[in-house]
Amino acid sequence: MDMTDKDNILLEDFFKQAAQQQVEDNGFTERVMLSLPDHQAEKTHRLSLLWTWFCILLGVVLFFAFGGLETLKAGIMVVFQTVLTWLSVFLTTAPTTEVSLNPLVVLLVVAFVGVYLPYQTYRKLSAIL
Amino acid sequence: MAELSDIALVTQVAVLHNKRAFDQLVRKYQSPVRRFFLNQTLGNEALSDDLAQETFIKVYVNITKFRGMSSFSTWLFRIAYNVFYDYTRSKKSEVSSLEDTPAVAVSLTSNLSPATSALKMDIYQALSQLKEEERTCITLQLIDGQPIDKISDITGMPQNTVKSHLKRGKDKLTDYLKNNGYDR
Repeated sequence: MDMTDKDNILLEDFFKQAAQQQVEDNGFTERVMLSLPDHQAEKTHRLSLLWTWFCILLGVVLFFAFGGLETLKAGIMVVFQTVLTWLSVFLTTAPTTEVSLNPLVVLLVVAFVGVYLPYQTYRKLSAIL
Repeated sequence: MAELSDIALVTQVAVLHNKRAFDQLVRKYQSPVRRFFLNQTLGNEALSDDLAQETFIKVYVNITKFRGMSSFSTWLFRIAYNVFYDYTRSKKSEVSSLEDTPAVAVSLTSNLSPATSALKMDIYQALSQLKEEERTCITLQLIDGQPIDKISDITGMPQNTVKSHLKRGKDKLTDYLKNNGYDR
């Protein structure tokens, strides 16, 4: 028997008892089972997401199927023409004296309409979808 | 209920989300997995249980990825090894690694006989002489009885690297045991 064999036997003997050691469960399995992710909740979430997308898709299809695009175009044209009419009336009947506008107020209104409102809309839509 | 094979249990968990089947798998493998972590952490029971729990949760979440190319136990040990590897990597950035400050953490307050506790103490003290990779290879071979090709599958190391770690680890352990009078 050479040194390597003796060394191997020494190591095997040393670890023999450790190899036979069984770790008692002591509630470990229960703890693992309690901390598993809930597949049912995930499934419900996935289903609700699918349902939302289905409704959106259905809405888009119905919109085009029932001529929603033409109605929308007509609506936009009406609004556009009303604004044009209102503007022409305003320009022809407006007083000649200058109306003083506060630039800060104009800036605030532009920021509100151009930045804040689109941002809030985007945020709310993201939360829903 | 008759004991089902691992593959049958895995199929039930993957397809039907059968938690009873997973419970059987955890009961069957909790001992080798926790023992594996105890050996890697030099007897730190709380840490070993946390890592073992994380391992079984990962197994449950990723069970559909098990393709049966290797045995379930090899796949399970591979996940356990990765969990431990991730843990040591995250710890290395905070404090020095276990091998730099070998601290045998076996709990002597457990319900073990003093002789068994002393033996565990000796084993963890001996294992603390090794680098992490050497310790993993040595314990997988000498305690868990895994052959070299399985150790290679579990750790993702080439077989020759595993052999090198085993050789170096065994040399260190033999020297340690001889210096401490275990060869008499």
